[in-house]
Amino acid sequence: MNKATHRNFIRWRYFKQSVFFTLVRASALVITLALGGIILYIIMNGFSAISWDFITKPPTDAMTKGGIMPAILGTIYLTVGAIATGLPLGIASAIYLTEYAKQGRIIRLIKIGINCLAGVPSVVFGLFGLGFFVIFLGFGSSILAGSLTLGFLILPTIIGASEEALKAVPQTFREASLSLGVSKWQTTYRIVLPNAMPGILTGSILGIGRAAGETAPIMFTAAAYFTAKLPGSIFDEVMALPYHIYVLATAGTNIEATRPIQFGTVLVLVGVVLGIDLIAIIIRGYMRRNKRW
Amino acid sequence: MESNVIISVNQVNFYYGAVRALTDISMKFRKNKVTALIGPSGCGKSTLLRLLNRMNELIDGTRVEGEILFEHQNIYEPHVDPVEIRRKIGMVFQKPNPFPKTIYNNISYGPKLNGVTSADMDELVEQSLKQAVLWDEVKDILNKSAMNLSGGQQQRLCIARALAMKPDILLMDEPTSALDPISTAKIEELIEELKENYTIIIVTHNMQQAARVSDETAFFYLGNLIEYNKTEKIFTTPDVKQTEDYITGRFG
Repeated sequence: MNKATHRNFIRWRYFKQSVFFTLVRASALVITLALGGIILYIIMNGFSAISWDFITKPPTDAMTKGGIMPAILGTIYLTVGAIATGLPLGIASAIYLTEYAKQGRIIRLIKIGINCLAGVPSVVFGLFGLGFFVIFLGFGSSILAGSLTLGFLILPTIIGASEEALKAVPQTFREASLSLGVSKWQTTYRIVLPNAMPGILTGSILGIGRAAGETAPIMFTAAAYFTAKLPGSIFDEVMALPYHIYVLATAGTNIEATRPIQFGTVLVLVGVVLGIDLIAIIIRGYMRRNKRW
Repeated sequence: MESNVIISVNQVNFYYGAVRALTDISMKFRKNKVTALIGPSGCGKSTLLRLLNRMNELIDGTRVEGEILFEHQNIYEPHVDPVEIRRKIGMVFQKPNPFPKTIYNNISYGPKLNGVTSADMDELVEQSLKQAVLWDEVKDILNKSAMNLSGGQQQRLCIARALAMKPDILLMDEPTSALDPISTAKIEELIEELKENYTIIIVTHNMQQAARVSDETAFFYLGNLIEYNKTEKIFTTPDVKQTEDYITGRFG
Protein backbone atom coordinates (compact mmCIF):
# COMPACT_ATOMS: atom_id res chain seq x y z
CA MET A 1 0.00 0.00 0.00
CA ASN A 2 1.55 3.32 -1.03
CA LYS A 3 1.22 6.53 0.92
CA ALA A 4 -1.71 8.02 -0.98
CA THR A 5 -3.89 4.91 -0.88
CA HIS A 6 -3.04 4.51 2.78
CA ARG A 7 -4.22 8.07 3.42
CA ASN A 8 -7.42 7.35 1.54
CA PHE A 9 -7.91 4.20 3.52
CA ILE A 10 -7.59 6.12 6.78
CA ARG A 11 -9.92 8.81 5.52
CA TRP A 12 -12.52 6.22 4.54
CA ARG A 13 -12.29 4.71 7.98
CA TYR A 14 -12.87 8.06 9.63
CA PHE A 15 -15.79 8.69 7.30
CA LYS A 16 -17.42 5.41 8.25
CA GLN A 17 -16.86 6.20 11.89
CA SER A 18 -18.45 9.64 11.65
CA VAL A 19 -21.47 8.24 9.81
CA PHE A 20 -21.97 5.69 12.52
CA PHE A 21 -21.55 8.22 15.32
CA THR A 22 -24.06 10.53 13.67
CA LEU A 23 -26.58 7.71 13.47
CA VAL A 24 -26.10 6.78 17.09
CA ARG A 25 -26.33 10.38 18.21
CA ALA A 26 -29.46 10.92 16.15
CA SER A 27 -31.25 7.97 17.70
CA ALA A 28 -30.30 9.11 21.18
CA LEU A 29 -31.64 12.56 20.30
CA VAL A 30 -34.93 11.18 18.93
CA ILE A 31 -35.55 9.20 22.11
CA THR A 32 -34.71 12.14 24.34
CA LEU A 33 -36.97 14.42 22.33
CA ALA A 34 -39.84 11.95 22.39
CA LEU A 35 -39.55 11.51 26.15
CA GLY A 36 -39.15 15.24 26.72
CA GLY A 37 -42.09 15.94 24.42
CA ILE A 38 -44.40 13.61 26.30
CA ILE A 39 -43.42 15.04 29.67
CA LEU A 40 -43.71 18.61 28.43
CA TYR A 41 -47.13 17.87 26.92
CA ILE A 42 -48.37 16.40 30.18
CA ILE A 43 -47.02 19.29 32.22
CA MET A 44 -48.46 21.94 29.89
CA ASN A 45 -51.90 20.37 29.92
CA GLY A 46 -51.99 19.14 33.45
CA PHE A 47 -50.23 21.84 35.44
CA SER A 48 -53.27 24.14 35.54
CA ALA A 49 -55.27 21.42 37.30
CA ILE A 50 -52.73 20.94 40.07
CA SER A 51 -53.49 22.64 43.33
CA TRP A 52 -53.30 21.81 47.00
CA ASP A 53 -56.99 20.90 47.00
CA PHE A 54 -56.49 18.68 43.94
CA ILE A 55 -54.09 16.41 45.74
CA THR A 56 -55.68 16.52 49.18
CA LYS A 57 -59.46 16.43 48.50
CA PRO A 58 -61.72 13.67 47.13
CA PRO A 59 -63.60 14.19 43.85
CA THR A 60 -66.94 16.01 43.91
CA ASP A 61 -69.81 16.69 41.49
CA ALA A 62 -69.77 13.22 39.89
CA MET A 63 -65.97 13.39 39.53
CA THR A 64 -66.02 16.54 37.39
CA LYS A 65 -64.59 18.70 40.16
CA GLY A 66 -62.61 18.31 43.36
CA GLY A 67 -59.39 16.37 43.90
CA ILE A 68 -57.96 12.91 43.45
CA MET A 69 -56.59 12.22 46.90
CA PRO A 70 -58.23 8.77 47.28
CA ALA A 71 -56.72 7.68 43.98
CA ILE A 72 -53.23 8.88 44.95
CA LEU A 73 -53.43 7.03 48.21
CA GLY A 74 -54.86 3.95 46.51
CA THR A 75 -52.00 3.83 44.01
CA ILE A 76 -49.43 4.20 46.78
CA TYR A 77 -51.07 1.38 48.77
CA LEU A 78 -51.23 -0.89 45.73
CA THR A 79 -47.64 -0.19 44.68
CA VAL A 80 -46.24 -0.70 48.17
CA GLY A 81 -48.36 -3.86 48.41
CA ALA A 82 -47.00 -5.09 45.08
CA ILE A 83 -43.41 -4.45 46.22
CA ALA A 84 -44.09 -6.17 49.54
CA THR A 85 -45.33 -9.24 47.65
CA GLY A 86 -43.11 -9.25 44.59
CA LEU A 87 -39.74 -8.30 46.08
CA PRO A 88 -39.35 -11.00 48.77
CA LEU A 89 -40.85 -13.69 46.54
CA GLY A 90 -38.75 -12.61 43.56
CA ILE A 91 -35.50 -12.41 45.54
CA ALA A 92 -36.20 -15.78 47.17
CA SER A 93 -36.83 -17.40 43.78
CA ALA A 94 -33.67 -15.87 42.33
CA ILE A 95 -31.62 -17.09 45.31
CA TYR A 96 -32.94 -20.59 44.78
CA LEU A 97 -32.27 -20.48 41.04
CA THR A 98 -28.74 -19.09 41.22
CA GLU A 99 -27.35 -20.26 44.57
CA TYR A 100 -29.02 -23.55 45.39
CA ALA A 101 -30.59 -25.30 42.42
CA LYS A 102 -28.43 -27.72 40.46
CA GLN A 103 -28.10 -26.16 37.03
CA GLY A 104 -29.77 -28.46 34.54
CA ARG A 105 -32.71 -28.98 32.26
CA ILE A 106 -35.41 -28.38 34.88
CA ILE A 107 -33.89 -25.09 35.94
CA ARG A 108 -33.60 -24.01 32.31
CA LEU A 109 -37.27 -24.83 31.86
CA ILE A 110 -38.23 -22.80 34.92
CA LYS A 111 -36.22 -19.84 33.62
CA ILE A 112 -37.92 -20.02 30.23
CA GLY A 113 -41.24 -20.11 32.05
CA ILE A 114 -40.35 -16.98 34.00
CA ASN A 115 -39.37 -15.17 30.82
CA CYS A 116 -42.66 -16.18 29.21
CA LEU A 117 -44.47 -14.82 32.24
CA ALA A 118 -42.85 -11.44 31.56
CA GLY A 119 -44.46 -11.39 28.14
CA VAL A 120 -47.99 -12.24 29.30
CA PRO A 121 -50.38 -9.31 28.70
CA SER A 122 -51.33 -7.54 31.90
CA VAL A 123 -55.05 -8.10 31.36
CA VAL A 124 -54.38 -11.83 31.68
CA PHE A 125 -52.87 -11.18 35.09
CA GLY A 126 -55.99 -9.18 35.87
CA LEU A 127 -58.23 -12.11 34.99
CA PHE A 128 -56.01 -14.49 36.95
CA GLY A 129 -56.27 -12.15 39.96
CA LEU A 130 -60.05 -12.00 39.57
CA GLY A 131 -60.38 -15.77 39.36
CA PHE A 132 -57.87 -16.69 42.05
CA PHE A 133 -57.59 -13.92 44.66
CA VAL A 134 -60.95 -12.19 44.32
CA ILE A 135 -63.23 -15.19 43.83
CA PHE A 136 -61.43 -18.42 44.79
CA LEU A 137 -59.66 -17.07 47.88
CA GLY A 138 -62.59 -14.76 48.59
CA PHE A 139 -60.57 -11.56 49.07
CA GLY A 140 -63.15 -9.63 47.03
CA SER A 141 -62.13 -6.60 45.04
CA SER A 142 -59.58 -5.22 47.51
CA ILE A 143 -56.15 -3.73 48.14
CA LEU A 144 -54.96 -7.24 49.04
CA ALA A 145 -56.15 -8.85 45.81
CA GLY A 146 -54.83 -5.95 43.71
CA SER A 147 -51.44 -5.91 45.44
CA LEU A 148 -51.01 -9.64 44.99
CA THR A 149 -51.98 -9.43 41.32
CA LEU A 150 -49.53 -6.57 40.71
CA GLY A 151 -46.92 -8.43 42.74
CA PHE A 152 -47.20 -11.41 40.40
CA LEU A 153 -47.10 -9.07 37.40
CA ILE A 154 -43.73 -7.63 38.40
CA LEU A 155 -42.33 -10.95 39.62
CA PRO A 156 -40.52 -11.84 36.36
CA THR A 157 -38.82 -8.43 36.28
CA ILE A 158 -37.66 -8.78 39.88
CA ILE A 159 -36.49 -12.38 39.44
CA GLY A 160 -34.55 -11.43 36.31
CA ALA A 161 -32.90 -8.43 37.96
CA SER A 162 -32.10 -10.39 41.10
CA GLU A 163 -30.57 -13.29 39.17
CA GLU A 164 -28.26 -10.92 37.31
CA ALA A 165 -27.31 -9.09 40.50
CA LEU A 166 -26.60 -12.34 42.37
CA LYS A 167 -24.49 -13.68 39.53
CA ALA A 168 -22.49 -10.44 39.50
CA VAL A 169 -21.27 -11.05 43.08
CA PRO A 170 -17.75 -12.45 42.67
CA GLN A 171 -17.45 -16.20 43.30
CA THR A 172 -14.36 -15.42 45.41
CA PHE A 173 -16.59 -13.83 48.09
CA ARG A 174 -18.61 -17.04 48.38
CA GLU A 175 -15.44 -19.14 48.52
CA ALA A 176 -13.86 -16.90 51.15
CA SER A 177 -16.93 -17.12 53.35
CA LEU A 178 -17.38 -20.88 52.96
CA SER A 179 -13.69 -21.49 53.63
CA LEU A 180 -14.17 -19.85 57.04
CA GLY A 181 -16.58 -22.58 58.11
CA VAL A 182 -19.61 -20.42 57.45
CA SER A 183 -22.69 -22.26 56.20
CA LYS A 184 -24.13 -21.80 52.75
CA TRP A 185 -27.23 -19.98 53.98
CA GLN A 186 -25.18 -17.62 56.16
CA THR A 187 -22.90 -16.95 53.20
CA THR A 188 -25.89 -16.16 51.01
CA TYR A 189 -27.55 -14.01 53.65
CA ARG A 190 -24.50 -12.14 54.98
CA ILE A 191 -22.24 -11.81 51.96
CA VAL A 192 -24.00 -12.50 48.67
CA LEU A 193 -27.32 -10.78 49.30
CA PRO A 194 -26.00 -7.48 50.73
CA ASN A 195 -23.63 -7.16 47.78
CA ALA A 196 -26.38 -7.96 45.29
CA MET A 197 -28.99 -5.67 46.85
CA PRO A 198 -28.12 -2.46 44.95
CA GLY A 199 -28.37 -4.34 41.66
CA ILE A 200 -31.60 -6.01 42.70
CA LEU A 201 -33.13 -2.62 43.50
CA THR A 202 -31.96 -1.09 40.22
CA GLY A 203 -33.78 -3.76 38.27
CA SER A 204 -36.78 -3.71 40.53
CA ILE A 205 -37.33 0.01 40.01
CA LEU A 206 -38.56 -0.87 36.53
CA GLY A 207 -41.07 -3.27 38.03
CA ILE A 208 -42.19 -0.70 40.58
CA GLY A 209 -42.96 1.85 37.87
CA ARG A 210 -44.94 -0.77 36.00
CA ALA A 211 -46.92 -1.76 39.09
CA ALA A 212 -47.91 1.84 39.75
CA GLY A 213 -48.98 2.51 36.18
CA GLU A 214 -50.90 -0.64 35.20
CA THR A 215 -54.65 -0.41 34.75
CA ALA A 216 -55.81 -3.79 33.51
CA PRO A 217 -54.61 -5.92 36.47
CA ILE A 218 -56.36 -3.74 39.06
CA MET A 219 -59.55 -3.14 37.07
CA PHE A 220 -61.05 -6.47 38.20
CA THR A 221 -59.18 -6.90 41.45
CA ALA A 222 -58.90 -3.65 43.39
CA ALA A 223 -60.01 -0.46 41.74
CA ALA A 224 -63.25 1.31 42.55
CA TYR A 225 -65.00 3.55 40.06
CA PHE A 226 -65.63 6.04 42.79
CA THR A 227 -65.34 6.00 46.54
CA ALA A 228 -64.98 9.09 48.62
CA LYS A 229 -64.13 7.18 51.75
CA LEU A 230 -60.61 6.01 52.34
CA PRO A 231 -59.92 2.31 52.77
CA GLY A 232 -60.15 1.07 56.35
CA SER A 233 -58.35 -2.21 55.77
CA ILE A 234 -56.59 -4.21 53.07
CA PHE A 235 -59.92 -5.85 52.29
CA ASP A 236 -61.41 -2.58 51.02
CA GLU A 237 -61.60 -1.36 47.46
CA VAL A 238 -59.62 1.72 46.52
CA MET A 239 -59.51 4.26 43.75
CA ALA A 240 -56.24 4.23 41.80
CA LEU A 241 -54.65 6.80 39.49
CA PRO A 242 -54.36 4.73 36.29
CA TYR A 243 -57.91 3.46 36.57
CA HIS A 244 -59.18 6.93 37.47
CA ILE A 245 -57.60 8.30 34.28
CA TYR A 246 -59.16 5.48 32.29
CA VAL A 247 -62.58 6.17 33.80
CA LEU A 248 -62.45 9.92 33.31
CA ALA A 249 -61.22 9.62 29.74
CA THR A 250 -63.66 6.93 28.57
CA ALA A 251 -66.60 6.50 30.87
CA GLY A 252 -66.87 9.70 32.86
CA THR A 253 -70.03 11.77 33.10
CA ASN A 254 -68.48 14.62 31.15
CA ILE A 255 -65.37 13.56 29.30
CA GLU A 256 -64.56 16.85 27.56
CA ALA A 257 -65.01 19.02 30.64
CA THR A 258 -62.71 16.87 32.73
CA ARG A 259 -59.71 16.98 30.33
CA PRO A 260 -57.64 19.22 32.66
CA ILE A 261 -58.38 16.87 35.55
CA GLN A 262 -57.32 13.91 33.39
CA PHE A 263 -54.01 15.54 32.55
CA GLY A 264 -53.55 16.65 36.13
CA THR A 265 -54.07 13.05 37.23
CA VAL A 266 -51.54 11.81 34.67
CA LEU A 267 -49.05 14.36 35.96
CA VAL A 268 -49.60 13.23 39.52
CA LEU A 269 -49.21 9.57 38.50
CA VAL A 270 -45.87 10.36 36.87
CA GLY A 271 -44.90 12.23 40.04
CA VAL A 272 -45.89 9.33 42.30
CA VAL A 273 -43.93 6.82 40.18
CA LEU A 274 -40.86 9.07 40.21
CA GLY A 275 -41.27 9.58 43.96
CA ILE A 276 -41.33 5.83 44.65
CA ASP A 277 -38.35 5.35 42.31
CA LEU A 278 -36.50 8.09 44.15
CA ILE A 279 -36.98 6.33 47.47
CA ALA A 280 -35.61 3.12 45.94
CA ILE A 281 -32.65 5.04 44.50
CA ILE A 282 -31.87 6.60 47.88
CA ILE A 283 -31.99 3.20 49.59
CA ARG A 284 -29.72 1.82 46.88
CA GLY A 285 -27.22 4.65 47.32
CA TYR A 286 -27.15 3.97 51.03
CA MET A 287 -26.47 0.28 50.43
CA ARG A 288 -23.73 1.02 47.89
CA ARG A 289 -21.56 3.00 50.30
CA ASN A 290 -19.34 0.07 51.17
CA LYS A 291 -19.58 -1.70 47.88
CA ARG A 292 -16.34 -1.67 45.95
CA TRP A 293 -14.52 -4.57 44.40
CA MET B 1 6.56 -40.52 61.92
CA GLU B 2 2.95 -41.89 62.02
CA SER B 3 2.05 -39.86 65.09
CA ASN B 4 3.00 -36.67 63.29
CA VAL B 5 0.57 -37.24 60.45
CA ILE B 6 -2.35 -34.79 60.42
CA ILE B 7 -3.87 -35.60 57.04
CA SER B 8 -3.55 -38.79 55.17
CA VAL B 9 -4.72 -39.10 51.59
CA ASN B 10 -5.44 -42.70 50.55
CA GLN B 11 -5.82 -43.74 46.93
CA VAL B 12 -7.75 -40.67 45.88
CA ASN B 13 -9.13 -40.27 42.38
CA PHE B 14 -10.93 -37.09 41.42
CA TYR B 15 -13.11 -36.34 38.42
CA TYR B 16 -14.49 -33.18 36.83
CA GLY B 17 -17.37 -34.81 34.97
CA ALA B 18 -15.73 -37.52 32.86
CA VAL B 19 -12.25 -35.99 33.09
CA ARG B 20 -9.97 -37.52 35.70
CA ALA B 21 -7.93 -34.75 37.34
CA LEU B 22 -6.17 -36.81 40.01
CA THR B 23 -5.07 -40.42 39.71
CA ASP B 24 -4.56 -42.68 42.69
CA ILE B 25 -2.99 -40.13 45.02
CA SER B 26 -1.70 -41.36 48.37
CA MET B 27 0.35 -39.13 50.65
CA LYS B 28 0.64 -38.06 54.27
CA PHE B 29 0.90 -34.46 55.48
CA ARG B 30 2.85 -33.90 58.68
CA LYS B 31 1.88 -31.70 61.59
CA ASN B 32 3.57 -28.30 62.03
CA LYS B 33 5.40 -28.63 58.75
CA VAL B 34 5.17 -26.63 55.59
CA THR B 35 4.41 -28.86 52.64
CA ALA B 36 4.69 -27.43 49.14
CA LEU B 37 2.74 -28.81 46.18
CA ILE B 38 4.49 -28.00 42.90
CA GLY B 39 4.06 -28.87 39.26
CA PRO B 40 3.08 -27.32 35.94
CA SER B 41 -0.36 -25.74 35.35
CA GLY B 42 -3.16 -28.29 35.25
CA CYS B 43 -1.19 -30.96 37.11
CA GLY B 44 -3.83 -31.26 39.84
CA LYS B 45 -1.99 -29.59 42.73
CA SER B 46 -4.71 -26.97 43.36
CA THR B 47 -7.38 -29.63 42.92
CA LEU B 48 -5.77 -31.72 45.64
CA LEU B 49 -5.49 -28.70 47.93
CA ARG B 50 -9.17 -27.91 47.50
CA LEU B 51 -10.07 -31.53 48.23
CA LEU B 52 -8.58 -31.17 51.70
CA ASN B 53 -11.29 -28.73 52.85
CA ARG B 54 -14.01 -29.97 50.52
CA MET B 55 -14.08 -26.81 48.41
CA ASN B 56 -14.22 -28.78 45.16
CA GLU B 57 -17.76 -29.90 45.82
CA LEU B 58 -18.94 -26.35 45.13
CA ILE B 59 -18.42 -27.22 41.48
CA ASP B 60 -21.25 -29.20 39.89
CA GLY B 61 -20.40 -32.59 38.45
CA THR B 62 -17.29 -33.42 40.48
CA ARG B 63 -16.66 -36.81 42.09
CA VAL B 64 -14.16 -38.15 44.63
CA GLU B 65 -13.01 -41.72 45.16
CA GLY B 66 -10.80 -42.94 47.97
CA GLU B 67 -10.50 -41.41 51.42
CA ILE B 68 -8.90 -38.42 53.09
CA LEU B 69 -8.33 -38.89 56.81
CA PHE B 70 -8.15 -35.85 59.04
CA GLU B 71 -7.74 -36.71 62.71
CA HIS B 72 -8.52 -40.36 61.85
CA GLN B 73 -11.84 -39.40 60.30
CA ASN B 74 -12.59 -39.71 56.58
CA ILE B 75 -13.83 -36.22 55.71
CA TYR B 76 -15.78 -37.61 52.76
CA GLU B 77 -18.02 -39.85 54.89
CA PRO B 78 -21.64 -38.92 54.20
CA HIS B 79 -22.33 -37.83 57.78
CA VAL B 80 -19.41 -35.37 57.92
CA ASP B 81 -20.44 -31.72 57.66
CA PRO B 82 -18.09 -29.80 55.33
CA VAL B 83 -18.75 -26.66 57.38
CA GLU B 84 -17.14 -28.35 60.41
CA ILE B 85 -14.14 -29.40 58.31
CA ARG B 86 -13.61 -25.88 56.99
CA ARG B 87 -13.62 -24.48 60.53
CA LYS B 88 -10.54 -26.55 61.28
CA ILE B 89 -8.88 -26.28 57.89
CA GLY B 90 -8.59 -22.66 56.79
CA MET B 91 -7.75 -21.43 53.32
CA VAL B 92 -6.00 -18.50 51.65
CA PHE B 93 -6.69 -17.94 47.98
CA GLN B 94 -4.66 -17.00 44.95
CA LYS B 95 -6.05 -13.50 44.65
CA PRO B 96 -6.60 -11.53 47.87
CA ASN B 97 -10.35 -11.63 48.42
CA PRO B 98 -11.30 -9.50 51.43
CA PHE B 99 -15.01 -8.83 51.89
CA PRO B 100 -16.20 -5.30 51.08
CA LYS B 101 -16.42 -4.66 54.82
CA THR B 102 -14.22 -2.88 57.34
CA ILE B 103 -10.89 -4.42 58.31
CA TYR B 104 -12.31 -5.29 61.74
CA ASN B 105 -15.42 -6.92 60.30
CA ASN B 106 -13.38 -8.95 57.83
CA ILE B 107 -11.65 -10.61 60.78
CA SER B 108 -14.67 -10.88 63.06
CA TYR B 109 -17.01 -12.25 60.36
CA GLY B 110 -16.12 -15.93 60.72
CA PRO B 111 -15.71 -16.08 64.52
CA LYS B 112 -18.94 -14.13 65.09
CA LEU B 113 -20.98 -16.62 63.07
CA ASN B 114 -19.29 -19.41 65.00
CA GLY B 115 -20.24 -18.12 68.41
CA VAL B 116 -17.39 -15.88 69.59
CA THR B 117 -18.97 -13.15 71.71
CA SER B 118 -18.30 -9.48 71.10
CA ALA B 119 -16.59 -9.22 74.49
CA ASP B 120 -13.76 -11.44 73.26
CA MET B 121 -13.76 -10.12 69.72
CA ASP B 122 -11.44 -7.11 70.11
CA GLU B 123 -8.73 -9.31 71.53
CA LEU B 124 -9.19 -11.97 68.85
CA VAL B 125 -9.01 -9.36 66.06
CA GLU B 126 -5.85 -7.85 67.50
CA GLN B 127 -4.25 -11.23 68.05
CA SER B 128 -5.08 -12.44 64.52
CA LEU B 129 -3.77 -9.26 62.90
CA LYS B 130 -0.58 -9.49 64.97
CA GLN B 131 -0.08 -13.09 63.90
CA ALA B 132 -0.37 -11.97 60.29
CA VAL B 133 2.08 -9.10 60.99
CA LEU B 134 -0.48 -6.55 59.87
CA TRP B 135 -1.48 -5.03 63.20
CA ASP B 136 0.96 -2.12 63.23
CA GLU B 137 -0.11 -1.05 59.75
CA VAL B 138 -3.86 -1.12 60.37
CA LYS B 139 -4.44 -0.63 64.10
CA ASP B 140 -5.61 2.95 63.57
CA ILE B 141 -7.85 2.23 60.58
CA LEU B 142 -9.73 -0.87 61.74
CA ASN B 143 -13.02 0.73 60.79
CA LYS B 144 -11.95 1.64 57.27
CA SER B 145 -12.87 -0.53 54.32
CA ALA B 146 -10.47 -3.40 53.66
CA MET B 147 -10.69 -2.55 49.97
CA ASN B 148 -8.41 0.47 50.56
CA LEU B 149 -5.46 -1.73 51.55
CA SER B 150 -2.69 -2.63 49.12
CA GLY B 151 -2.66 -6.09 47.52
CA GLY B 152 -0.03 -7.40 49.92
CA GLN B 153 -1.86 -6.00 52.94
CA GLN B 154 -5.11 -7.49 51.67
CA GLN B 155 -3.50 -10.91 51.41
CA ARG B 156 -2.14 -10.67 54.96
CA LEU B 157 -5.63 -9.61 56.03
CA CYS B 158 -6.99 -12.75 54.40
CA ILE B 159 -4.42 -14.79 56.32
CA ALA B 160 -5.44 -13.05 59.55
CA ARG B 161 -9.08 -13.73 58.70
CA ALA B 162 -8.33 -17.44 58.30
CA LEU B 163 -6.24 -17.50 61.52
CA ALA B 164 -9.07 -15.90 63.50
CA MET B 165 -10.94 -19.19 63.16
CA LYS B 166 -8.02 -20.87 65.00
CA PRO B 167 -7.69 -23.62 62.41
CA ASP B 168 -5.33 -26.58 62.72
CA ILE B 169 -4.28 -26.41 59.10
CA LEU B 170 -3.83 -23.50 56.72
CA LEU B 171 -4.17 -24.24 53.01
CA MET B 172 -2.58 -21.66 50.70
CA ASP B 173 -3.37 -21.67 47.00
CA GLU B 174 -0.57 -19.71 45.28
CA PRO B 175 -0.89 -16.97 47.91
CA THR B 176 1.75 -14.70 46.41
CA SER B 177 1.14 -15.08 42.69
CA ALA B 178 -0.74 -11.77 42.53
CA LEU B 179 1.75 -9.86 44.70
CA ASP B 180 4.91 -7.81 44.18
CA PRO B 181 8.31 -9.15 45.42
CA ILE B 182 8.33 -7.16 48.67
CA SER B 183 4.85 -8.32 49.65
CA THR B 184 5.85 -11.84 48.63
CA ALA B 185 8.87 -11.72 50.94
CA LYS B 186 6.64 -10.59 53.82
CA ILE B 187 4.21 -13.46 53.27
CA GLU B 188 7.10 -15.94 53.12
CA GLU B 189 8.49 -14.66 56.43
CA LEU B 190 5.02 -15.01 57.83
CA ILE B 191 4.76 -18.63 56.71
CA GLU B 192 8.04 -19.31 58.52
CA GLU B 193 6.58 -17.94 61.78
CA LEU B 194 3.19 -19.59 61.42
CA LYS B 195 4.50 -23.11 61.14
CA GLU B 196 5.29 -23.10 64.87
CA ASN B 197 1.57 -23.34 65.53
CA TYR B 198 -0.01 -24.44 62.30
CA THR B 199 0.33 -27.05 59.62
CA ILE B 200 0.70 -25.31 56.28
CA ILE B 201 0.10 -26.77 52.85
CA ILE B 202 1.00 -24.41 50.05
CA VAL B 203 0.52 -24.66 46.30
CA THR B 204 3.06 -22.63 44.40
CA HIS B 205 4.23 -22.03 40.87
CA ASN B 206 7.39 -20.50 42.13
CA MET B 207 10.09 -23.12 42.64
CA GLN B 208 12.37 -20.85 44.65
CA GLN B 209 9.47 -20.17 46.96
CA ALA B 210 8.89 -23.88 47.50
CA ALA B 211 12.61 -24.32 48.20
CA ARG B 212 12.67 -21.36 50.62
CA VAL B 213 9.58 -21.97 52.72
CA SER B 214 8.77 -25.66 52.72
CA ASP B 215 10.00 -28.67 54.69
CA GLU B 216 8.57 -31.19 52.28
CA THR B 217 7.72 -30.95 48.63
CA ALA B 218 5.41 -32.97 46.43
CA PHE B 219 5.78 -32.83 42.65
CA PHE B 220 2.69 -33.45 40.54
CA TYR B 221 2.43 -34.05 36.83
CA LEU B 222 -0.73 -34.76 34.79
CA GLY B 223 -2.75 -35.67 37.86
CA ASN B 224 -0.15 -38.05 39.28
CA LEU B 225 2.02 -37.66 42.34
CA ILE B 226 5.48 -38.13 40.85
CA GLU B 227 7.68 -37.59 43.86
CA TYR B 228 7.17 -36.60 47.49
CA ASN B 229 10.10 -36.07 49.80
CA LYS B 230 12.00 -33.63 51.98
CA THR B 231 12.38 -30.34 50.15
CA GLU B 232 16.14 -30.47 50.43
CA LYS B 233 16.22 -33.86 48.76
CA ILE B 234 13.77 -32.88 45.99
CA PHE B 235 15.78 -29.81 45.07
CA THR B 236 19.21 -31.43 45.23
CA THR B 237 18.99 -35.12 44.40
CA PRO B 238 15.49 -36.03 43.23
CA ASP B 239 14.85 -39.71 42.66
CA VAL B 240 12.79 -39.28 39.54
CA LYS B 241 14.04 -37.89 36.25
CA GLN B 242 10.80 -35.94 35.59
CA THR B 243 11.18 -34.07 38.89
CA GLU B 244 14.70 -33.10 38.03
CA ASP B 245 13.64 -31.91 34.58
CA TYR B 246 10.91 -29.77 36.09
CA ILE B 247 12.91 -28.14 38.86
CA THR B 248 15.80 -27.41 36.57
CA GLY B 249 13.39 -25.69 34.21
CA ARG B 250 13.54 -28.09 31.29
CA PHE B 251 9.74 -28.17 31.04
CA GLY B 252 6.69 -26.74 32.80
